Amino acid sequence: MNPITAGILGSALLVFLLFLGMPIAFVMMFVGFLGISYLTSVDAAFPVVAKTVYETASNYPYTIIPLFILMGGFAGSAGITRKLYQSFDKWFRKLPGGLGIATISACAFFAALSGSSVAASAAMGTIAIPEMRRFNYAPKLAVGAVAAGGTLSFLIPPSLGFVVYGMLTEQSIGKLLVSGIFPGILLSLAFVTVIVFQVKLDPSIAPVTPGEVSFKEKLLAFSGIWETLLVFFIVMGGIYGGFINPTEAGAIGATALFVIVLLKKKLSLHNLSTSLLEAVRISVLVLFLVAGANVFSYFLALSTIPMAVSSWMAELHVSRYIILGIIILIYMMLGCFLDAISMMVLTMPVIFPVIKALGFDPIWFGVICVIMMEAGLITPPVGLNVYTLAGVVKDVPMQTIFRGAMPFLISMIVVVIFITIFPKIALFLPSMMGR
Amino acid sequence: MWWVKTQRVIHRLNFYVALVGMSFIIPLMLLTTFDVIGRKFFKPIPGAFEISEYILAIFILLGAAYTQQVKGHVGIGFITSRFSPRLQGICEIMTTLLGLFIIAIVIWQGWLEGIRERTVSDMLRIPQYPFRLLVAVGGFLLWLELLIDLFNSIGKLIRREG
Repeated sequence: MNPITAGILGSALLVFLLFLGMPIAFVMMFVGFLGISYLTSVDAAFPVVAKTVYETASNYPYTIIPLFILMGGFAGSAGITRKLYQSFDKWFRKLPGGLGIATISACAFFAALSGSSVAASAAMGTIAIPEMRRFNYAPKLAVGAVAAGGTLSFLIPPSLGFVVYGMLTEQSIGKLLVSGIFPGILLSLAFVTVIVFQVKLDPSIAPVTPGEVSFKEKLLAFSGIWETLLVFFIVMGGIYGGFINPTEAGAIGATALFVIVLLKKKLSLHNLSTSLLEAVRISVLVLFLVAGANVFSYFLALSTIPMAVSSWMAELHVSRYIILGIIILIYMMLGCFLDAISMMVLTMPVIFPVIKALGFDPIWFGVICVIMMEAGLITPPVGLNVYTLAGVVKDVPMQTIFRGAMPFLISMIVVVIFITIFPKIALFLPSMMGR
Repeated sequence: MWWVKTQRVIHRLNFYVALVGMSFIIPLMLLTTFDVIGRKFFKPIPGAFEISEYILAIFILLGAAYTQQVKGHVGIGFITSRFSPRLQGICEIMTTLLGLFIIAIVIWQGWLEGIRERTVSDMLRIPQYPFRLLVAVGGFLLWLELLIDLFNSIGKLIRREG
Protein backbone atom coordinates (compact mmCIF):
# COMPACT_ATOMS: atom_id res chain seq x y z
CA MET A 1 0.00 0.00 0.00
CA ASN A 2 1.57 3.31 -1.00
CA PRO A 3 1.38 6.29 1.38
CA ILE A 4 -1.41 8.00 -0.57
CA THR A 5 -3.68 4.94 -0.34
CA ALA A 6 -2.94 4.78 3.40
CA GLY A 7 -3.83 8.45 3.69
CA ILE A 8 -7.13 7.97 1.87
CA LEU A 9 -8.04 4.92 3.97
CA GLY A 10 -7.14 6.86 7.12
CA SER A 11 -9.34 9.78 6.08
CA ALA A 12 -12.22 7.38 5.33
CA LEU A 13 -11.83 5.81 8.78
CA LEU A 14 -11.80 9.33 10.27
CA VAL A 15 -15.10 10.21 8.60
CA PHE A 16 -16.63 6.87 9.61
CA LEU A 17 -15.70 7.31 13.28
CA LEU A 18 -16.87 10.94 13.24
CA PHE A 19 -20.27 9.80 12.02
CA LEU A 20 -20.45 7.26 14.85
CA GLY A 21 -20.29 10.21 17.23
CA MET A 22 -16.79 9.78 18.64
CA PRO A 23 -15.42 13.09 19.98
CA ILE A 24 -13.55 14.78 17.14
CA ALA A 25 -10.33 15.36 19.07
CA PHE A 26 -10.05 11.68 20.04
CA VAL A 27 -10.84 10.51 16.48
CA MET A 28 -8.03 12.61 15.05
CA MET A 29 -5.57 11.38 17.68
CA PHE A 30 -6.60 7.76 17.16
CA VAL A 31 -6.54 7.74 13.35
CA GLY A 32 -3.38 9.87 13.32
CA PHE A 33 -1.72 7.36 15.64
CA LEU A 34 -2.73 4.38 13.48
CA GLY A 35 -1.55 6.14 10.32
CA ILE A 36 1.80 7.19 11.75
CA SER A 37 2.36 3.63 13.06
CA TYR A 38 1.71 2.25 9.59
CA LEU A 39 3.78 4.78 7.65
CA THR A 40 6.75 4.86 10.04
CA SER A 41 6.81 2.35 12.89
CA VAL A 42 4.77 1.66 16.01
CA ASP A 43 7.70 2.65 18.22
CA ALA A 44 7.95 6.00 16.49
CA ALA A 45 4.20 6.55 16.75
CA PHE A 46 3.77 5.80 20.48
CA PRO A 47 5.20 9.05 21.90
CA VAL A 48 3.68 11.33 19.25
CA VAL A 49 0.26 11.87 20.84
CA ALA A 50 1.48 12.49 24.41
CA LYS A 51 4.21 14.83 23.13
CA THR A 52 1.77 16.77 20.98
CA VAL A 53 -0.69 17.14 23.86
CA TYR A 54 2.01 18.61 26.10
CA GLU A 55 3.44 20.87 23.43
CA THR A 56 -0.01 22.21 22.54
CA ALA A 57 -1.01 22.70 26.17
CA SER A 58 2.17 24.61 27.02
CA ASN A 59 2.51 26.82 23.97
CA TYR A 60 2.62 30.47 25.00
CA PRO A 61 0.49 31.94 22.14
CA TYR A 62 -2.40 29.67 23.13
CA THR A 63 -2.79 31.38 26.52
CA ILE A 64 -4.80 33.90 24.48
CA ILE A 65 -7.78 31.51 24.35
CA PRO A 66 -8.80 31.51 28.03
CA LEU A 67 -8.09 35.25 28.17
CA PHE A 68 -10.41 36.04 25.26
CA ILE A 69 -13.14 33.90 26.81
CA LEU A 70 -12.68 35.67 30.14
CA MET A 71 -13.13 39.01 28.36
CA GLY A 72 -16.55 37.93 27.12
CA GLY A 73 -17.45 36.49 30.52
CA PHE A 74 -16.52 39.65 32.42
CA ALA A 75 -18.23 41.88 29.85
CA GLY A 76 -21.40 39.86 30.42
CA SER A 77 -21.07 40.07 34.23
CA ALA A 78 -20.59 43.85 34.04
CA GLY A 79 -23.98 44.17 32.35
CA ILE A 80 -22.40 45.84 29.32
CA THR A 81 -24.69 43.99 26.89
CA ARG A 82 -27.85 45.56 28.25
CA LYS A 83 -26.38 49.06 28.34
CA LEU A 84 -25.19 48.77 24.75
CA TYR A 85 -28.65 47.73 23.66
CA GLN A 86 -30.34 50.60 25.48
CA SER A 87 -27.97 53.18 24.00
CA PHE A 88 -28.40 51.99 20.45
CA ASP A 89 -32.15 51.83 20.91
CA LYS A 90 -32.14 55.54 21.80
CA TRP A 91 -30.11 56.41 18.72
CA PHE A 92 -31.84 54.24 16.13
CA ARG A 93 -35.43 54.31 17.41
CA LYS A 94 -36.81 56.28 14.45
CA LEU A 95 -35.18 54.15 11.75
CA PRO A 96 -37.19 51.36 10.07
CA GLY A 97 -36.72 48.26 12.21
CA GLY A 98 -34.94 50.39 14.83
CA LEU A 99 -34.85 47.74 17.54
CA GLY A 100 -33.44 45.23 15.05
CA ILE A 101 -30.70 47.67 14.10
CA ALA A 102 -30.02 48.28 17.78
CA THR A 103 -29.69 44.50 18.23
CA ILE A 104 -27.15 44.17 15.43
CA SER A 105 -25.17 47.19 16.68
CA ALA A 106 -25.15 45.93 20.25
CA CYS A 107 -24.01 42.50 19.01
CA ALA A 108 -21.23 44.10 16.96
CA PHE A 109 -20.02 46.12 19.95
CA PHE A 110 -20.27 43.15 22.29
CA ALA A 111 -18.25 41.24 19.67
CA ALA A 112 -15.52 43.83 20.15
CA LEU A 113 -15.16 42.51 23.71
CA SER A 114 -15.96 38.85 23.32
CA GLY A 115 -14.42 36.00 21.39
CA SER A 116 -17.16 33.41 21.42
CA SER A 117 -20.44 33.81 19.65
CA VAL A 118 -22.65 31.46 21.64
CA ALA A 119 -22.25 33.69 24.69
CA ALA A 120 -23.31 36.70 22.63
CA SER A 121 -26.40 34.97 21.27
CA ALA A 122 -27.51 33.85 24.68
CA ALA A 123 -26.96 37.27 26.26
CA MET A 124 -28.70 39.20 23.50
CA GLY A 125 -31.49 36.67 23.33
CA THR A 126 -32.59 37.41 26.87
CA ILE A 127 -32.35 41.18 26.41
CA ALA A 128 -33.35 42.08 22.85
CA ILE A 129 -36.04 39.54 22.07
CA PRO A 130 -38.48 40.40 24.88
CA GLU A 131 -38.05 44.05 23.93
CA MET A 132 -38.76 43.48 20.22
CA ARG A 133 -41.78 41.36 21.00
CA ARG A 134 -43.12 43.97 23.40
CA PHE A 135 -43.28 46.34 20.44
CA ASN A 136 -44.92 43.72 18.22
CA TYR A 137 -42.01 42.86 15.96
CA ALA A 138 -42.57 39.71 13.88
CA PRO A 139 -40.89 36.84 15.79
CA LYS A 140 -39.11 35.76 12.62
CA LEU A 141 -37.32 39.10 12.28
CA ALA A 142 -36.53 39.34 15.98
CA VAL A 143 -34.93 35.91 16.36
CA GLY A 144 -33.23 36.12 12.95
CA ALA A 145 -31.52 39.37 13.92
CA VAL A 146 -30.25 37.97 17.22
CA ALA A 147 -29.06 34.69 15.68
CA ALA A 148 -27.18 36.52 12.92
CA GLY A 149 -25.89 39.30 15.17
CA GLY A 150 -24.44 36.72 17.52
CA THR A 151 -22.20 35.36 14.78
CA LEU A 152 -20.39 38.71 14.56
CA SER A 153 -18.31 37.74 17.61
CA PHE A 154 -16.54 35.25 15.44
CA LEU A 155 -15.32 37.88 12.96
CA ILE A 156 -14.93 41.09 14.97
CA PRO A 157 -11.78 40.87 17.09
CA PRO A 158 -11.12 39.54 19.67
CA SER A 159 -12.15 36.37 17.91
CA LEU A 160 -11.47 32.72 18.65
CA GLY A 161 -11.94 31.92 14.96
CA PHE A 162 -8.84 33.86 13.94
CA VAL A 163 -6.83 32.46 16.83
CA VAL A 164 -7.55 28.88 15.78
CA TYR A 165 -6.94 29.68 12.10
CA GLY A 166 -3.65 31.30 13.01
CA MET A 167 -2.63 28.30 15.12
CA LEU A 168 -3.39 25.80 12.37
CA THR A 169 -1.79 27.73 9.52
CA GLU A 170 1.06 29.42 11.40
CA GLN A 171 -0.04 32.89 10.38
CA SER A 172 0.36 35.95 12.60
CA ILE A 173 -2.61 36.01 15.00
CA GLY A 174 -2.19 39.77 15.46
CA LYS A 175 -2.49 40.42 11.72
CA LEU A 176 -5.49 38.12 11.45
CA LEU A 177 -7.30 39.86 14.30
CA VAL A 178 -6.64 43.28 12.79
CA SER A 179 -7.78 42.09 9.36
CA GLY A 180 -11.18 41.23 10.83
CA ILE A 181 -12.06 44.81 11.76
CA PHE A 182 -13.25 46.21 8.42
CA PRO A 183 -14.96 43.03 7.21
CA GLY A 184 -16.68 42.94 10.62
CA ILE A 185 -18.00 46.47 10.15
CA LEU A 186 -19.01 45.64 6.58
CA LEU A 187 -20.91 42.54 7.66
CA SER A 188 -22.67 44.47 10.45
CA LEU A 189 -23.76 47.08 7.89
CA ALA A 190 -24.93 44.30 5.59
CA PHE A 191 -27.07 42.88 8.42
CA VAL A 192 -28.53 46.33 9.08
CA THR A 193 -29.33 46.65 5.37
CA VAL A 194 -31.08 43.29 5.46
CA ILE A 195 -33.30 44.52 8.30
CA VAL A 196 -34.12 47.86 6.68
CA PHE A 197 -34.86 46.11 3.39
CA GLN A 198 -37.22 43.60 5.01
CA VAL A 199 -39.06 46.33 6.90
CA LYS A 200 -39.40 48.46 3.76
CA LEU A 201 -40.95 45.48 1.97
CA ASP A 202 -43.39 44.78 4.77
CA PRO A 203 -43.66 47.58 7.37
CA SER A 204 -46.04 45.49 9.50
CA ILE A 205 -43.19 43.22 10.70
CA ALA A 206 -41.60 46.07 12.66
CA PRO A 207 -43.93 48.80 13.95
CA VAL A 208 -42.19 52.10 14.76
CA THR A 209 -41.34 52.25 18.45
CA PRO A 210 -43.34 55.08 20.09
CA GLY A 211 -41.71 57.74 22.25
CA GLU A 212 -39.44 60.62 21.37
CA VAL A 213 -35.82 60.68 22.49
CA SER A 214 -34.49 64.15 23.29
CA PHE A 215 -31.10 65.25 22.04
CA LYS A 216 -29.81 65.35 25.60
CA GLU A 217 -30.86 61.75 26.17
CA LYS A 218 -29.11 60.72 22.97
CA LEU A 219 -25.95 62.42 24.16
CA LEU A 220 -26.18 60.75 27.57
CA ALA A 221 -26.64 57.37 25.91
CA PHE A 222 -22.96 57.56 25.02
CA SER A 223 -22.27 56.47 28.60
CA GLY A 224 -23.46 52.99 27.59
CA ILE A 225 -20.75 52.42 25.02
CA TRP A 226 -17.61 54.22 26.17
CA GLU A 227 -16.30 51.29 28.22
CA THR A 228 -16.55 49.04 25.20
CA LEU A 229 -14.79 51.54 22.96
CA LEU A 230 -12.07 52.14 25.52
CA VAL A 231 -11.26 48.46 26.05
CA PHE A 232 -11.43 47.76 22.31
CA PHE A 233 -9.01 50.58 21.50
CA ILE A 234 -6.56 49.52 24.19
CA VAL A 235 -6.62 45.90 23.02
CA MET A 236 -6.65 46.37 19.25
CA GLY A 237 -4.63 49.61 19.32
CA GLY A 238 -1.95 47.81 21.29
CA ILE A 239 -1.81 44.97 18.78
CA TYR A 240 -1.99 47.29 15.77
CA GLY A 241 0.75 49.57 16.99
CA GLY A 242 2.95 46.60 17.80
CA PHE A 243 3.25 47.61 21.47
CA ILE A 244 1.95 44.31 22.77
CA ASN A 245 1.43 40.83 21.35
CA PRO A 246 -2.12 39.47 21.04
CA THR A 247 -1.79 37.36 24.20
CA GLU A 248 -0.76 40.39 26.23
CA ALA A 249 -3.63 42.33 24.68
CA GLY A 250 -6.02 39.56 25.79
CA ALA A 251 -4.64 39.73 29.33
CA ILE A 252 -4.90 43.52 29.48
CA GLY A 253 -8.42 43.45 28.03
CA ALA A 254 -9.51 40.84 30.56
CA THR A 255 -7.90 42.76 33.43
CA ALA A 256 -9.56 46.02 32.32
CA LEU A 257 -12.98 44.34 32.20
CA PHE A 258 -12.27 42.66 35.54
CA VAL A 259 -11.62 46.09 37.05
CA ILE A 260 -14.87 47.40 35.48
CA VAL A 261 -16.79 44.49 37.04
CA LEU A 262 -15.16 45.23 40.40
CA LEU A 263 -15.95 48.97 40.18
CA LYS A 264 -19.58 48.21 39.42
CA LYS A 265 -19.65 45.84 42.39
CA LYS A 266 -21.01 43.12 40.11
CA LEU A 267 -18.42 40.51 41.07
CA SER A 268 -19.95 37.48 42.75
CA LEU A 269 -18.46 34.08 43.32
CA HIS A 270 -21.12 32.68 41.02
CA ASN A 271 -20.27 35.07 38.16
CA LEU A 272 -16.58 34.48 38.53
CA SER A 273 -16.76 30.70 38.67
CA THR A 274 -19.14 30.60 35.68
CA SER A 275 -16.70 32.65 33.60
CA LEU A 276 -13.71 30.60 34.72
CA LEU A 277 -15.37 27.23 34.17
CA GLU A 278 -16.39 28.35 30.70
CA ALA A 279 -12.81 29.42 30.03
CA VAL A 280 -11.56 25.98 31.11
CA ARG A 281 -14.16 24.08 29.11
CA ILE A 282 -13.66 25.97 25.85
CA SER A 283 -9.86 26.15 26.13
CA VAL A 284 -9.61 22.42 26.75
CA LEU A 285 -11.99 21.69 23.89
CA VAL A 286 -10.06 23.91 21.47
CA LEU A 287 -6.58 22.81 22.49
CA PHE A 288 -7.49 19.11 22.39
CA LEU A 289 -8.91 19.68 18.92
CA VAL A 290 -5.72 21.44 17.88
CA ALA A 291 -3.56 18.70 19.41
CA GLY A 292 -5.65 16.11 17.55
CA ALA A 293 -5.33 18.10 14.35
CA ASN A 294 -1.56 18.29 14.75
CA VAL A 295 -1.29 14.52 15.16
CA PHE A 296 -3.57 13.96 12.19
CA SER A 297 -1.76 16.54 10.01
CA TYR A 298 1.53 14.79 10.76
CA PHE A 299 0.00 11.57 9.41
CA LEU A 300 -1.42 13.38 6.37
CA ALA A 301 1.95 15.00 5.68
CA LEU A 302 3.58 11.54 5.79
CA SER A 303 0.94 10.30 3.34
CA THR A 304 1.86 13.18 0.96
CA ILE A 305 -1.85 13.80 0.28
CA PRO A 306 -1.81 17.59 0.87
CA MET A 307 1.07 17.96 -1.63
CA ALA A 308 -0.58 15.71 -4.17
CA VAL A 309 -3.91 17.52 -3.90
CA SER A 310 -2.40 20.97 -4.19
CA SER A 311 -0.18 20.11 -7.16
CA TRP A 312 -3.15 18.43 -8.84
CA MET A 313 -5.24 21.55 -8.25
CA ALA A 314 -2.49 23.78 -9.59
CA GLU A 315 -2.35 21.74 -12.81
CA LEU A 316 -6.09 21.89 -13.34
CA HIS A 317 -5.90 24.99 -15.55
CA VAL A 318 -9.18 26.35 -14.31
CA SER A 319 -9.56 29.78 -12.77
CA ARG A 320 -8.47 29.72 -9.14
CA TYR A 321 -11.70 31.50 -8.29
CA ILE A 322 -13.67 28.44 -9.39
CA ILE A 323 -11.69 26.33 -6.93
CA LEU A 324 -12.27 28.97 -4.26
CA GLY A 325 -15.98 28.82 -5.06
CA ILE A 326 -15.94 25.04 -4.62
CA ILE A 327 -14.11 25.37 -1.29
CA ILE A 328 -16.71 27.89 -0.11
CA LEU A 329 -19.48 25.52 -1.20
CA ILE A 330 -17.84 22.68 0.75
CA TYR A 331 -17.70 24.93 3.82
CA MET A 332 -21.39 25.76 3.39
CA MET A 333 -22.24 22.07 3.40
CA LEU A 334 -19.90 21.16 6.27
CA GLY A 335 -21.29 24.10 8.24
CA CYS A 336 -24.64 22.34 8.23
CA PHE A 337 -23.46 19.62 10.57
CA LEU A 338 -20.13 20.66 12.13
CA ASP A 339 -19.41 23.39 14.63
CA ALA A 340 -17.09 26.18 13.54
CA ILE A 341 -13.87 25.22 15.32
CA SER A 342 -14.13 21.52 14.43
CA MET A 343 -14.77 22.42 10.82
CA MET A 344 -11.62 24.51 10.67
CA VAL A 345 -9.53 21.91 12.45
CA LEU A 346 -10.71 19.09 10.20
CA THR A 347 -10.33 20.85 6.85
CA MET A 348 -7.30 23.10 7.24
CA PRO A 349 -4.61 20.39 6.83
CA VAL A 350 -5.75 19.82 3.24
CA ILE A 351 -7.41 23.12 2.27
CA PHE A 352 -4.67 25.47 3.42
CA PRO A 353 -1.87 24.02 1.21
CA VAL A 354 -4.27 24.26 -1.74
CA ILE A 355 -5.01 27.92 -0.99
CA LYS A 356 -1.29 28.67 -0.73
CA ALA A 357 -0.55 26.77 -3.96
CA LEU A 358 -3.21 28.81 -5.75
CA GLY A 359 -1.48 32.01 -4.65
CA PHE A 360 -4.25 33.40 -2.43
CA ASP A 361 -3.24 35.59 0.49
CA PRO A 362 -3.36 33.50 3.70
CA ILE A 363 -4.57 36.39 5.86
CA TRP A 364 -7.32 37.21 3.37
CA PHE A 365 -8.39 33.57 3.25
CA GLY A 366 -8.54 33.61 7.05
CA VAL A 367 -11.22 36.29 6.83
CA ILE A 368 -13.19 34.37 4.17
CA CYS A 369 -12.87 31.21 6.20
CA VAL A 370 -14.07 32.84 9.43
CA ILE A 371 -17.13 34.31 7.66
CA MET A 372 -17.96 30.84 6.32
CA MET A 373 -17.63 29.41 9.84
CA GLU A 374 -20.05 32.10 11.00
CA ALA A 375 -22.49 31.03 8.31
CA GLY A 376 -22.28 27.50 9.70
CA LEU A 377 -23.53 28.78 13.05
CA ILE A 378 -26.95 29.60 11.59
CA THR A 379 -27.50 26.93 8.90
CA PRO A 380 -29.89 24.03 9.52
CA PRO A 381 -29.96 21.36 10.84
CA VAL A 382 -27.31 22.09 13.49
CA GLY A 383 -26.63 25.83 13.69
CA LEU A 384 -25.11 26.26 17.14
CA ASN A 385 -26.38 29.83 17.59
CA VAL A 386 -29.89 28.77 16.63
CA TYR A 387 -29.79 25.99 19.22
CA THR A 388 -28.59 28.36 21.92
CA LEU A 389 -31.28 30.84 21.01
CA ALA A 390 -33.98 28.17 20.98
CA GLY A 391 -32.89 27.35 24.53
CA VAL A 392 -33.36 30.97 25.59
CA VAL A 393 -36.58 31.79 23.69
CA LYS A 394 -38.70 28.76 24.34
CA ASP A 395 -41.90 29.75 22.53
CA VAL A 396 -40.40 30.29 19.05
CA PRO A 397 -39.98 27.07 17.01
CA MET A 398 -36.49 26.28 15.73
CA GLN A 399 -37.82 26.33 12.16
CA THR A 400 -38.77 30.00 12.52
CA ILE A 401 -35.30 30.90 13.78
CA PHE A 402 -33.65 29.18 10.82
CA ARG A 403 -36.02 30.90 8.40
CA GLY A 404 -35.49 34.25 10.11
CA ALA A 405 -31.72 33.85 9.78
CA MET A 406 -31.91 32.99 6.05
CA PRO A 407 -31.75 36.58 4.67
CA PHE A 408 -28.72 37.24 6.86
CA LEU A 409 -27.06 34.10 5.54
CA ILE A 410 -27.47 35.40 2.00
CA SER A 411 -25.92 38.73 3.01
CA MET A 412 -22.89 36.80 4.36
CA ILE A 413 -22.37 35.23 0.94
CA VAL A 414 -22.63 38.68 -0.65
CA VAL A 415 -19.99 40.00 1.75
CA VAL A 416 -17.70 37.05 0.93
CA ILE A 417 -18.02 37.82 -2.78
CA PHE A 418 -17.39 41.49 -2.08
CA ILE A 419 -14.22 40.78 -0.08
CA THR A 420 -13.05 38.42 -2.83
CA ILE A 421 -13.40 41.17 -5.43
CA PHE A 422 -11.86 43.80 -3.14
CA PRO A 423 -9.36 41.93 -0.92
CA LYS A 424 -8.09 45.31 0.30
CA ILE A 425 -11.08 45.50 2.68
CA ALA A 426 -9.42 42.78 4.73
CA LEU A 427 -5.77 43.44 3.94
CA PHE A 428 -5.59 47.22 4.17
CA LEU A 429 -5.19 47.45 7.95
CA PRO A 430 -2.77 44.55 8.51
CA SER A 431 -0.53 45.78 5.68
CA MET A 432 0.08 48.99 7.59
CA MET A 433 0.72 47.35 10.94
CA GLY A 434 3.59 48.38 13.19
CA ARG A 435 5.16 44.95 13.37
CA MET B 1 -25.08 0.96 44.51
CA TRP B 2 -21.30 0.99 44.96
CA TRP B 3 -21.14 1.90 41.30
CA VAL B 4 -23.27 5.01 41.69
CA LYS B 5 -21.10 6.03 44.63
CA THR B 6 -17.80 5.45 42.80
CA GLN B 7 -19.11 7.41 39.89
CA ARG B 8 -20.07 10.32 42.10
CA VAL B 9 -16.66 10.29 43.80
CA ILE B 10 -14.84 10.39 40.44
CA HIS B 11 -17.06 13.20 39.12
CA ARG B 12 -16.48 15.17 42.32
CA LEU B 13 -12.75 14.58 42.21
CA ASN B 14 -12.47 15.73 38.60
CA PHE B 15 -14.59 18.79 39.28
CA TYR B 16 -12.33 19.84 42.17
CA VAL B 17 -9.23 19.15 40.11
CA ALA B 18 -10.63 21.44 37.40
CA LEU B 19 -11.32 24.09 40.07
CA VAL B 20 -7.69 23.93 41.15
CA GLY B 21 -6.60 24.32 37.52
CA MET B 22 -8.96 27.17 36.81
CA SER B 23 -7.85 29.13 39.87
CA PHE B 24 -4.61 29.77 37.97
CA ILE B 25 -6.32 31.74 35.18
CA ILE B 26 -6.72 35.00 37.13
CA PRO B 27 -3.05 34.94 38.24
CA LEU B 28 -2.11 34.29 34.59
CA MET B 29 -4.14 37.31 33.52
CA LEU B 30 -2.62 39.58 36.20
CA LEU B 31 0.90 38.25 35.63
CA THR B 32 0.79 39.11 31.92
CA THR B 33 -0.76 42.51 32.55
CA PHE B 34 1.79 43.50 35.20
CA ASP B 35 4.58 42.19 33.00
CA VAL B 36 3.51 44.55 30.19
CA ILE B 37 3.06 47.50 32.57
CA GLY B 38 6.40 46.69 34.18
CA ARG B 39 8.13 46.50 30.82
CA LYS B 40 6.86 49.93 29.80
CA PHE B 41 7.41 51.80 33.04
CA PHE B 42 9.69 49.88 35.44
CA LYS B 43 11.21 46.54 34.63
CA PRO B 44 9.57 43.35 33.34
CA ILE B 45 8.70 40.44 35.60
CA PRO B 46 11.46 37.86 35.15
CA GLY B 47 10.27 34.61 33.58
CA ALA B 48 6.69 35.77 32.93
CA PHE B 49 6.77 33.98 29.59
CA GLU B 50 7.74 30.58 30.94
CA ILE B 51 5.43 30.83 33.96
CA SER B 52 2.55 31.56 31.54
CA GLU B 53 3.36 28.40 29.61
CA TYR B 54 3.42 26.28 32.75
CA ILE B 55 0.14 27.78 33.97
CA LEU B 56 -1.51 27.02 30.63
CA ALA B 57 -0.29 23.41 30.88
CA ILE B 58 -1.68 23.11 34.43
CA PHE B 59 -5.19 24.24 33.70
CA ILE B 60 -5.58 22.59 30.31
CA LEU B 61 -4.35 19.21 31.53
CA LEU B 62 -6.27 19.38 34.82
CA GLY B 63 -9.41 20.54 32.98
CA ALA B 64 -9.45 17.74 30.41
CA ALA B 65 -11.41 15.29 32.58
CA TYR B 66 -13.96 17.90 33.67
CA THR B 67 -14.53 18.83 30.03
CA GLN B 68 -15.32 15.20 29.24
CA GLN B 69 -17.62 15.09 32.29
CA VAL B 70 -19.79 17.91 30.91
CA LYS B 71 -19.51 16.36 27.41
CA GLY B 72 -17.46 19.33 26.27
CA HIS B 73 -15.34 17.36 23.78
CA VAL B 74 -17.61 17.82 20.77
CA GLY B 75 -18.64 15.08 18.38
CA ILE B 76 -21.15 14.75 15.58
CA GLY B 77 -24.47 13.59 16.97
CA PHE B 78 -26.94 14.11 14.17
CA ILE B 79 -26.43 10.73 12.48
CA THR B 80 -26.38 8.48 15.53
CA SER B 81 -29.42 10.31 16.93
CA ARG B 82 -31.41 8.67 14.12
CA PHE B 83 -30.24 5.15 14.99
CA SER B 84 -32.26 2.76 17.14
CA PRO B 85 -31.40 2.99 20.85
CA ARG B 86 -29.67 -0.39 20.62
CA LEU B 87 -27.42 0.65 17.73
CA GLN B 88 -26.74 3.95 19.48
CA GLY B 89 -25.57 2.05 22.54
CA ILE B 90 -23.27 -0.15 20.46
CA CYS B 91 -21.77 2.93 18.74
CA GLU B 92 -21.18 4.57 22.11
CA ILE B 93 -19.43 1.50 23.47
CA MET B 94 -17.23 1.17 20.38
CA THR B 95 -16.17 4.79 20.21
CA THR B 96 -15.58 5.00 23.96
CA LEU B 97 -13.35 1.91 23.78
CA LEU B 98 -11.28 3.57 21.05
CA GLY B 99 -11.08 6.73 23.18
CA LEU B 100 -9.90 4.66 26.17
CA PHE B 101 -7.28 3.03 23.94
CA ILE B 102 -5.74 6.26 22.63
CA ILE B 103 -5.84 8.00 26.02
CA ALA B 104 -4.17 4.96 27.60
CA ILE B 105 -1.28 5.45 25.18
CA VAL B 106 -1.17 9.13 26.12
CA ILE B 107 -0.97 8.24 29.85
CA TRP B 108 1.72 5.60 29.39
CA GLN B 109 3.88 7.68 27.05
CA GLY B 110 3.23 10.87 29.00
CA TRP B 111 4.59 9.14 32.10
CA LEU B 112 7.68 7.82 30.29
CA GLU B 113 8.37 11.23 28.74
CA GLY B 114 7.80 12.93 32.07
CA ILE B 115 10.19 10.88 34.20
CA ARG B 116 12.89 11.15 31.52
CA GLU B 117 12.56 14.92 31.14
CA ARG B 118 15.55 16.88 32.48
CA THR B 119 14.92 20.29 30.87
CA VAL B 120 14.64 23.36 33.07
CA SER B 121 13.14 26.69 32.04
CA ASP B 122 15.50 29.34 30.64
CA MET B 123 15.18 32.10 33.21
CA LEU B 124 13.95 30.68 36.48
CA ARG B 125 15.39 27.17 36.06
CA ILE B 126 12.04 25.58 36.94
CA PRO B 127 12.20 21.89 35.99
CA GLN B 128 9.79 20.85 33.26
CA TYR B 129 9.13 17.29 34.37
CA PRO B 130 6.31 17.94 36.91
CA PHE B 131 4.33 19.67 34.18
CA ARG B 132 5.11 16.95 31.66
CA LEU B 133 3.85 14.40 34.19
CA LEU B 134 0.55 16.28 34.30
CA VAL B 135 -0.08 14.76 30.85
CA ALA B 136 -0.19 11.37 32.56
CA VAL B 137 -2.18 12.66 35.56
CA GLY B 138 -4.73 14.60 33.51
CA GLY B 139 -4.88 11.74 31.00
CA PHE B 140 -5.61 9.25 33.78
CA LEU B 141 -8.46 11.37 35.18
CA LEU B 142 -9.86 11.73 31.65
CA TRP B 143 -9.55 7.96 31.26
CA LEU B 144 -11.64 7.44 34.43
CA GLU B 145 -14.38 9.68 33.01
CA LEU B 146 -14.37 7.68 29.78
CA LEU B 147 -14.53 4.46 31.82
CA ILE B 148 -17.66 5.75 33.58
CA ASP B 149 -19.16 6.55 30.17
CA LEU B 150 -18.32 3.03 28.99
CA PHE B 151 -19.96 1.31 31.97
CA ASN B 152 -23.00 3.55 31.69
CA SER B 153 -23.41 2.72 27.99
CA ILE B 154 -23.06 -1.01 28.70
CA GLY B 155 -25.50 -0.73 31.60
CA LYS B 156 -28.07 1.05 29.44
CA LEU B 157 -27.75 -1.60 26.73
CA ILE B 158 -28.14 -4.52 29.17
CA ARG B 159 -31.14 -2.99 30.89
CA ARG B 160 -32.82 -2.51 27.53
CA GLU B 161 -32.09 -6.09 26.43
CA GLY B 162 -33.19 -7.59 29.74
